[in-house]
Parts: sequence; structure tokens; C-alpha cells
Amino acid sequence: MNAREFTPEVREALQRLILSLADTKRLLGIRYSDWLLGAPSIESGIATASMSQDEWGHARLLYAMLKDFGVDPVEVEHSRPPAEYCSASCLDEPFADWAGVVAGIVVVDGTLSLALEGFAAGAYDAARRRIPKMLAEEAFHRDFGQAWMRRISEGAEEGRQLLAAAVESMLPDAVTCLLPGDDEAELLAGAGVTVRPADARATLARRLAEPIAALRMEPAADPPLPADWMASRRRPTGEPAGDAVERARGDRNRALFVE
Amino acid sequence: MEEAVYDVFARKRRAEPLRHIGYVDATDDALARVYAWKTYDEENWFEMCVVRRAHIIPVNRIDGPYAARATGRLGRHAVEGR
Repeated sequence: MNAREFTPEVREALQRLILSLADTKRLLGIRYSDWLLGAPSIESGIATASMSQDEWGHARLLYAMLKDFGVDPVEVEHSRPPAEYCSASCLDEPFADWAGVVAGIVVVDGTLSLALEGFAAGAYDAARRRIPKMLAEEAFHRDFGQAWMRRISEGAEEGRQLLAAAVESMLPDAVTCLLPGDDEAELLAGAGVTVRPADARATLARRLAEPIAALRMEPAADPPLPADWMASRRRPTGEPAGDAVERARGDRNRALFVE
Repeated sequence: MEEAVYDVFARKRRAEPLRHIGYVDATDDALARVYAWKTYDEENWFEMCVVRRAHIIPVNRIDGPYAARATGRLGRHAVEGR
């Protein structure tokens, strides 16, 4: 189905879903890019750089879907203030350390990919066409994150504790923002655009069971919608740090844009 | 955790032979796969493989890089037990 074939309510919700996925991809790319030169080895830094580029490419493809809704993606990419970003709140600030990067890959990137899998399998044609290639690239992100998570889990206790703390801090936000259990998510699932939030969360719990056990953590409870949930931005109140948004918008290069 | 050298082989088309395109250092096979794919991603490869350098068995030379029981980026130019 194309965008015009959905009801106005579903169209609005679909537009917000796309913006949330695209903004999260863009911010995730920024957060990976913070670690291009601080990674533990040259190879892991190169892989992080490549993942950062992947995320920006995916974001660009997702923003382009907004044309179906009469929205100019260039304006969306380059002109919004931080308070209008719909990215997952766990990306508002940089990852504190390499354990944070690994948690970000496994938890945030992994949850985002799961949301995209459901979207690609749904009824919206543009998602069915464009997302499978993203998911093929994401397979390497998953392998990278899982390998690093195993390495840290089997290493020194201090590293395991840092990683467990990072996972514990990101997981509720990632699940709430990327697989929300609100009325709008149910509306989209009912229209066949995505899978039901409860089903997606159950899949995520299965995928994360092994790494969470390796970190000697308890399985996370299903997070409720926070009191400050903003359905219009598919996230709680707050916004990404200003410097990250300046980089995302390309503020310093505005005079050099060629689009 | 000690890193090992993995040699990277790839080909652009099915009809081509695999050729050596470089190497990466990694702590295990899973990371070696990712590092190879992400480091040598400038081409649209049809196939890419990694081989732990220490698993390569030299046939006629004992002084080449593949004859080394490599444990670091430069390897050790010696074959144990020869």
C-alpha cells in the first residue's frame, strides 16, 4: 500500500513512526562517530566509522519516505530545533565509554533493527522496498556488538559491571521509544503497518536473553510508558544535546550545501 | 585477550579466484569477520573470507608471512617443529 491508501489517522501515525526511526538512526550515527578515534583498536574504530556511515545512509533513506506525506525531507533534516527531534532518549547524550558503545550497538541498534524488521514486513510499500538492504547491513552491526559483548562479559569484572550498567540504563528507553506500547503503536499494528508491540517486545526479550544472562543481569521487566511520554514525538520530554543536533543538521556547512 | 592476525581474501565476481586483499587483527573469528567486511568495504565484493594466519600450513617456504605462527601484526617468522 502507498501512503495515500491508509486512513488519515494511520497516515499521521505512520509519518511519526518514520520520523522517529530516521531521527534515531541519525543520532545513533552521531553517537558512533563520537568513538571513531577512541575505540580500543584500529579495526574496531574503522568498524565504528563504517557503522556510523551506515546509520546516516539509513536515516537519509527513511527521511526520503516523508515525501510520500508531502513533507520536504531536506527541511526536516536541516532545519528543526532539538526540541522537535523524535530520537530515542537514550541517545540524547554521548556514550560514556566503550562499554556504552557496545550497549548502544546491542540494545539500541538491536531494538531499532527489530522495529525496522516489523516495518519492512508490514503493508507500507516503501518500507518493504527500502528496509531489507538496511537490515542486511545491520547484520554486521549485530555481530560486532554481540562479539564485543561476549568479550567484555568473559573479561575483567570491572568491564562486565560497566557494560551491565550501560545496558540497564539504555534498555528501558530503547524499548519504550522504539517499541512503544501506546495507542498509536496499536493503531499501526492494526492497520498492518507494523507488528503488535507486545509481540515485538517478546522477540526482543528472546534475542537479548543470552547477552543479559552473560552479564549476570536479571531479565528486564516490560517498561511502562513514562508519565512525560509525548505521543507526538514518540519519546519522553527532553531533547538531544545541542551540539549533536548542530552536527546532524550540518550547521557549520550550511553555506556549502549542494542539495 | 590476545589478538591474532586474520588474512582477508575476496573476489568481485563468481568467475574470479579469491585473492588476498589484506589482514586484520582480532580476538576471535566473529570480530575478524566484521573487521574484514568493514575495513575492506570499498568494493562491492561477491565473496569475502577470513583465515586465521596461524591456521595456514606452509608448503614450500618457511620464510614467508603465511609460514609464521603469527600472534601479532607482523607475525613471527618461524615455524615451530620444523
